[in-house]
Amino acid sequence: MAKYSSDRRQVLKLFGAISATCAYPFAGDDLYGQTVHEHPLPQSPVRFLNEADYKTIARMADLIIPATETPGAIQAGVPEYIDLVISREAQHQPVVADGLRWLDAQAKELGSDHFLDLEERAQLSILEPLCEAADSEKSAARNVRFFALIKRLSADGYYTSRIGLIDELGYKGNTVRASYPECVHEH
Amino acid sequence: MQQKLYDVVVIGSGAGGGTLSSRLANSGADVLVLEGGPHVNTRSDFNTHALPFEFPSRHIPTMRPGKPGFDGERSRGLGGKTMLWNAVALRFSQRDFKGRQHDGTGEDWPLDYADMAPYYDRVEREVGVCGNLDHLEDLPDGIFLPPVPLKCTDIAIQKGAAELGAKVIHVRKATLSRAQSNRPACHFCGNCMSGCDVVAKYNSYDVQMVPALKSGKLTLRGNSIVYDLAVNDEARITEVRYFDRETRAENAVRGRVVVVACACAQSVALLLMSKSSQFPSGLANSSGQLGRNFIPHITAGFELFLEDFIGKPSENDEGFLDHGYIPSFMHNEKRDYARSFGVQYGYHNRRATGWARNIKGMGKSYKEAVKARYPAYMTFSPYQEMLPNDDSYIDLDPEHLDEYGLPRARRHWKLSEMDMKLHNDMKRRCQEILEASHAQILSISEEPATNHEIGGCRMGSDPRSSIVDATCRAHDVPNLYVVDASVFPSSSEKNPTLTIMALASRTADFIADRLQKREV
Repeated sequence: MAKYSSDRRQVLKLFGAISATCAYPFAGDDLYGQTVHEHPLPQSPVRFLNEADYKTIARMADLIIPATETPGAIQAGVPEYIDLVISREAQHQPVVADGLRWLDAQAKELGSDHFLDLEERAQLSILEPLCEAADSEKSAARNVRFFALIKRLSADGYYTSRIGLIDELGYKGNTVRASYPECVHEH
Repeated sequence: MQQKLYDVVVIGSGAGGGTLSSRLANSGADVLVLEGGPHVNTRSDFNTHALPFEFPSRHIPTMRPGKPGFDGERSRGLGGKTMLWNAVALRFSQRDFKGRQHDGTGEDWPLDYADMAPYYDRVEREVGVCGNLDHLEDLPDGIFLPPVPLKCTDIAIQKGAAELGAKVIHVRKATLSRAQSNRPACHFCGNCMSGCDVVAKYNSYDVQMVPALKSGKLTLRGNSIVYDLAVNDEARITEVRYFDRETRAENAVRGRVVVVACACAQSVALLLMSKSSQFPSGLANSSGQLGRNFIPHITAGFELFLEDFIGKPSENDEGFLDHGYIPSFMHNEKRDYARSFGVQYGYHNRRATGWARNIKGMGKSYKEAVKARYPAYMTFSPYQEMLPNDDSYIDLDPEHLDEYGLPRARRHWKLSEMDMKLHNDMKRRCQEILEASHAQILSISEEPATNHEIGGCRMGSDPRSSIVDATCRAHDVPNLYVVDASVFPSSSEKNPTLTIMALASRTADFIADRLQKREV
């Protein structure tokens, strides 16, 4: 983690900005898995990625958060969210373009033209080492950064969706209660 | 026609401005409040109950579409930061007012806890503060509504803290635990910092200023950005100059007394901008101390999972965010630093899922790991007092003007070796508490961060080293008062708002008294 949010904190400190309205020492977009854009979003955004790239990103999201007994990234609209964020955050665009090219180059080594043409097992054999490298935070390689970005956006998109937040995690807040119950667990 | 002369012109409408202006209007003074932001309707203008998936970017905007306010420092709105605060309401103790006497360094306040106690009583009665009578010497009890029960997760932290000699007490908040003065009790939706649309949580606009409008003595003027306080040869403010936020039309008003309550850095900025031949380096700045002694709270941040809750079913434990608080426990121990820290924790709400991206792995096992940890996730952030130093101050940025063409306030801060000793010990002890509470720590902040802006217009009895006196009146300008956290000579580790309110209420009495005696 800590890499992303501490960078963010560093940035806040450099600008000498102090959260004006919020008592969190954590930046809001880190805490809530949101992406705060500087400018308002268009009402109905046009898809940014081309069809092939969009499908590849969607497949990655699907493998990162698959449908199991509960719906996964695709049903939760994660690809649309990732497309939106990439369209608004120019710094991600070269990382994504290079990453997608790299995936297809890997596919060619396995005898297919495109990542999407590979069987699931082969796709995972490409992604899982990237996931491990991203988790260990030791590698700053471009393909690892690409995977880490898509994983982050998949997690953010999924767990802020209705399916992810309410159906999967079981968020029960935002209700009206007459009183707050005493804890009755044994501790 | 001669321009109207108000008894008191108050600039800013948050905890300080709201408390003071309502008190003075109710006592019969003619009061005008100038607020840079618009009038915001608490009940309808905030996105209080929105959920992230209602927005394509998943970011919940503070305001509903087309409702202005709270998008910048000069455009917050009537009520100021109290609209979105977390409502923690702690009294300072005698140690907090006399830190130098206690620790041998830093600055004392020119007043004692006994001077403040009646005003803490008064504001607690006025706005409603819930809490438990804990009988702690360092965190005085107040006039409390019943406390809200600790959460199950608080009990886990309480047991861990006890092993390290630290207490978890019920948090004290200016949120109603039972109905009072036509305001309902809190309904525990967990969205306190998105604008409490039923006003169970205190905000200065709905709780103090709206009722005071009935006096017929209070005028609220929103969208009025003050940029200059003009003085005459006797160093008295003659005119408060402002412009309309929307039309930019310039205007001016007159008041016998002028009160600056713009929230620390903005108050300092206004005084620094108000230059004249008498005060070439900023109003009331003959000491050269204006902007100096900036002492914001310094925080660290932990994210963690409580092992006892991993894999448990998700429950609705939103409550009113944090229900527990760890008061200072280091201040009487032998240590190689001055001052102390307290801990606020668990004030995320369960819409906060940004941590999920940092759980290792992918696929089914990843999904299961996130779900299992969801009920166990917690934020934990200790707050420390910082000592004043020469490298920490507020000034104006002449290069970067804001959207209104005014220089921005710039915050400079640097921690001394002593502050860093405290910071490192604070992090170490928090980690020990968390380990004793069976927590898996997900992240620890690497760098200290600031919160709660404090200092810049220091209160003191010596005009050579301070800006205002013990009544919050400027030494140099007899009809100027400052009532916000900028006047605090020391910050304590405790949240500042209740002390801002008690000071404002006290200063209102001094002003009312002077108006009555026709001293102003």
